[in-house]
Amino acid sequence: MSAAAPTAPALRALPAPRGLVWTVLRLHRTALWIWTGFVVLTAGLLLWLYGPGAGHTQHLLDTYGYAGVQQDAWSSDMIGSPFSGSYNDLFQDPASLLNIASFAVAVFAAGSLTSRELENGTARLAWTQSVTPARWLTAKLAVPALVVTVGTGLLVVLYRMLWSAHSNLLLAGIGPRALYFAIGPATVAAPLFGLALGAVVGLALRRTLPALAVAGLAQYAVIAFRANSWPFQGRYQQPELSVRSRAITSTGKEIPDPGCYDSHACLARHDVVGFTRRYLPSPDYWPRQLLETGVLLAATVILVAVAFGVLRKRSTS
Amino acid sequence: MSSTSTTRSAVAVEARGLTVRHGRRSAPALDDCSFRLPAGRVSALVGPNGAGKSTLLATAAGLLRPSAGTLTVLGGEPAEARERIAYLAQDKPLHPQLTIAETLRLGAELNPARWDAPHAAAIVEQGSLDPGTKVRKLSGGQRTRVALALALGKRPDLMLLDEPMADLDPLARHELLGTLMADAAERGTTVLMSSHIVTELADACDHLLLLGGGRVRLGGGLDDLLLAHTVVTGRGTPADLAPHLVVESRPAGRGLTALIRDDGPVDERWQAERPSVEELVLAHLRSPDVPALLTPGTTPAPEAVAR
Repeated sequence: MSAAAPTAPALRALPAPRGLVWTVLRLHRTALWIWTGFVVLTAGLLLWLYGPGAGHTQHLLDTYGYAGVQQDAWSSDMIGSPFSGSYNDLFQDPASLLNIASFAVAVFAAGSLTSRELENGTARLAWTQSVTPARWLTAKLAVPALVVTVGTGLLVVLYRMLWSAHSNLLLAGIGPRALYFAIGPATVAAPLFGLALGAVVGLALRRTLPALAVAGLAQYAVIAFRANSWPFQGRYQQPELSVRSRAITSTGKEIPDPGCYDSHACLARHDVVGFTRRYLPSPDYWPRQLLETGVLLAATVILVAVAFGVLRKRSTS
Repeated sequence: MSSTSTTRSAVAVEARGLTVRHGRRSAPALDDCSFRLPAGRVSALVGPNGAGKSTLLATAAGLLRPSAGTLTVLGGEPAEARERIAYLAQDKPLHPQLTIAETLRLGAELNPARWDAPHAAAIVEQGSLDPGTKVRKLSGGQRTRVALALALGKRPDLMLLDEPMADLDPLARHELLGTLMADAAERGTTVLMSSHIVTELADACDHLLLLGGGRVRLGGGLDDLLLAHTVVTGRGTPADLAPHLVVESRPAGRGLTALIRDDGPVDERWQAERPSVEELVLAHLRSPDVPALLTPGTTPAPEAVAR
């Protein structure tokens, strides 16, 4: 008691959620915990890649240049697998997790957020309290939308930070460009689109299992379509990103990579003491990113309007 | 609207030509129903399975839209009166992942203007339920008690209860009916509760609305309806009972027993007695062609019908 007393005013300073907001947070507490866990773990992975995780590969780059990066990426016998454990592959994993998350958001919105409540009658329970169905749906969409935006927004900022710091440790090829274009405002818009899509499917079908299946398939199709189809560039792969790679001599002069691989004698002969490497920004990143974000958000708005339309048919107001 | 508010305040529910279909092509669940329920009464909504009881209650709760006709609740559209109505659906939906205490908190959060927390808590306590129990772990009857606490905690002006007593044990049924009746007596709450078991509600209710095949068959004060009918036994044929309306007759020994709607005093040749509620209801359900009877207080206002 006495220990809890001093903290009580501090807690009270935060406005406690009330009404429908409290209801949505409480009813979907498990989903909220899972989402928080996903954000924390993914953020942890990103920060590790940003900090301690990059050390070894960075050292190889500094010592051997691009050959060091290749050596590190190929050291695993599962190259290209998300589970290979090499820095090059781990770097791609948060993008896959973000894609899976947008899929999960759509399935959640179709299932426990909407269709389950319609199926087991708890939606009607809410509508016969002092709450109109429209306000009910508004809270059902707004609270998850806020939580999703904050979570993915944080991860995208961390990912961009990681890209600026360590994209030079990635193997050249289609991978870096795909990743470069997959991370941005559109990454935040994608799960919001999934939320609206799931809500429409859930409200329209009213039964949990079909709603889960249809929303999952639909969001999967959208994710697949986003990859490399103009104007979407979720995984825009061609042409490869330009990379600028140079060796540095003891006088500080930048020379082309002498191609010594891991031969120290060769490096000494060329008087190479370090390397610099970076992917050049693509001028079409922002036009494409903003266009895709705009298209996704416009589609989201349309789906939200459809959701309210379907709800009007399902209820009397 | 406002000019008639004084007369409307005495009417809790008024239906005029109310027709409700579930889907465009299906047969109507409610077919051209017209009746009114006076405020402050505890009304039994009785009828066989599929008679339209649940449809009527859900429509009055603002959950279904009439296909034709109107349904006025507490002087307005059902959806507008949402705050003043409590509705208990037949399957007693509750969130299984919430505890009882959280379920009541839900009621408080969603009815900030009306919620009576002590009242709701008392109903749960009466059933010696631990507020920390998850709804998922409750038995059917316990769930019903929590659902009723949620409905009563709202302090509604109109309670629409769909089979509220079905899975309660006799003791709980008695307690909760007592709570409902006390609420009606103290606060003038109007209660409309459905059942297909007539006797279940006969003690608690002072008003009856009988539905059969989507139509209103009987409506009025229970006593008035019973007084309007007589069970007669004697020798003769149904034709001998004119000018009374024979609702139902069947052979009994050398004569017959009939339930009639009296039109003046019954001939002394016949042995007459008052019907029970069950006899009254069953006779009307077995004879779907007999004209409906609505007592004057239950008939919609004539000027409103003419409109």
